[in-house]
Amino acid sequence: MTAATVELTPRQRTWASFRRNPLGLASGVVLVLLALIAIFAPLIAPFPEGYGTDTSQPPSGAHWFGTDDIGQDVFAQVIWGTRVSMAVGVSASVLAIVIGLLIGVSAAYFRRLDTPLGVLVDLSLSLPMLPLMILVAALAGPSVRTLAVVIALFSWPEVARVVRSQALSIVPMPFVSAAKVVGGSSLWIVRKHLLPGVIPVVGVSVVLTTSRAVIAEAGLSFLGLGDPSSWSWGTILHKAQQSGSLASAWWTTLFPSLAILLLVLSTTLLSVAYNDARNHRDAS
Amino acid sequence: MRFIGLRLARGVLTLWFAVTVTFFLVRLLPGDPVLAVADPNMTEELHQKLLADFGLDQPLGVQYLDYLGQLLHGNLGMSFRQSIPVTTVLMERLPWTLILTITAMVVTIVLGIPLGVLAATRAKGWLDRVIQITGVTAQSLFVPSVGIFLMYVLGVWLGWFPIGGAVDLDATGIGATLSMIHHLVLPCLSLVLVQLGGYVLTMRTTLIDALGEDYVSLAKAKGVRPGKVVWKHALRNALLPTTTIAGLQLGTLVGGAVLTETIYAYPGIGRAIYEAVGQLDFPVLQGAFVLLAAAVVVANLITDVAYGILDPRVRT
Repeated sequence: MTAATVELTPRQRTWASFRRNPLGLASGVVLVLLALIAIFAPLIAPFPEGYGTDTSQPPSGAHWFGTDDIGQDVFAQVIWGTRVSMAVGVSASVLAIVIGLLIGVSAAYFRRLDTPLGVLVDLSLSLPMLPLMILVAALAGPSVRTLAVVIALFSWPEVARVVRSQALSIVPMPFVSAAKVVGGSSLWIVRKHLLPGVIPVVGVSVVLTTSRAVIAEAGLSFLGLGDPSSWSWGTILHKAQQSGSLASAWWTTLFPSLAILLLVLSTTLLSVAYNDARNHRDAS
Repeated sequence: MRFIGLRLARGVLTLWFAVTVTFFLVRLLPGDPVLAVADPNMTEELHQKLLADFGLDQPLGVQYLDYLGQLLHGNLGMSFRQSIPVTTVLMERLPWTLILTITAMVVTIVLGIPLGVLAATRAKGWLDRVIQITGVTAQSLFVPSVGIFLMYVLGVWLGWFPIGGAVDLDATGIGATLSMIHHLVLPCLSLVLVQLGGYVLTMRTTLIDALGEDYVSLAKAKGVRPGKVVWKHALRNALLPTTTIAGLQLGTLVGGAVLTETIYAYPGIGRAIYEAVGQLDFPVLQGAFVLLAAAVVVANLITDVAYGILDPRVRT
């Protein structure tokens, strides 16, 4: 038994510990389900458009989540909303991670860059981001791509901060000095020695950044900056706000709200479980 | 004094950064800013005139210096749609946003401290678990969802609170104040619910750390009452990191206020932003960001200085 445990790589030990956490597993399953819904939306419900005859109907057998003030099916809106919300969330997050990774690692490795980049990150983190995102999104014109880029543009500082502090603990390690002594180029050292060290931290960051990006997208769309030709969870809430259904038809806002909560909650729980698994893997 | 000077310098730097980023983002983005005020089929003559009117025909460097100079005079430009100065539009909105955010902040702290203490002193107990799980869930809430939910249940169903506006216009004297508080409850509660989780969780972690310190063991060994050890010794030291984090979250609080005001038609800056989005009134959007950034910087400055006075260790 002990012999077998010794053979396990750190990744396998993390996985073994993670598997024992029911909450973490359940969150993972929920996220996979949401991703499947996003991918297969066209098979689940027709794209909500035009006007229907059943306006402002409460949930029923025909319309599981009810209908809005122009007779569109809220269930179909939420299903299609999953697609845009997750697409924007994931692409914004990937972009933010790449930028944050570059800046964080550069700040930790190239001493001269550390102070200016550190100040840049601190300044960005202390400013109210939503109003700034609103301004830029309004100027750039609403589209799915604008939203993803704008959100990424204002989400990377958080990633850079986490990456930098992790990378800072690796830079003074003997193997980095050794790599320098043997004449390794900076790029090679960063790629071969620094990046593998910060990747586990980035793993958590991906999940959390995605959920923040989904929230940001929902916020911007709720304020009317969503892509007018597609549905997202925030857009559904925006339409309800505009039509006045907010105070009369609870189903138009409850279901998209639940969808956002489900996604954000499962990402949070998943990252908590992942962190626990990484930290406790030696203890177990 | 040196400490205050340093913090002041950092505040000014932050503000300059905010202003500069905004200026260049707005100018460098594709798209003709004049299109926001005029018909796309306007004549070339009119186009040039509008560019000149808004100073957009000058070189970028000149525009930037001019913009900074105008800002120092409190001039944020003219609202495209309303043809009145942005400063005028926003200044009458600012007090409402301040009332909302400051009240939410105070209520969060007043509720957060005892909840944090409760969780930390019963660490690993069932009450701690409940507080932790609720805290994590609350952190995952989307502000408009909470706002809509509270509006629906407490405003529409039970009819306890008004669901829009900030005050009854025909109320006077004490009645006006009461009406203001009455209108404030739902938007404020929405913000508190979203903020509280993070605050309590931080409070809990820092307090648990503080309770493991030597001075706590010493105080216990001296026979100080357990309650006094927690509230007088450990809590005071746990408050510092918590306040720092609360300061860092001011940006989020402001973002939350923008969304909450939109739902409750609360006449603050956030509602002005929502209206400006609908009308593509860019100067108002830009001014609103600069003003909110300034508010956050000033609030951080006040927190920092207050803490420098209370705790000599941070004066560095």
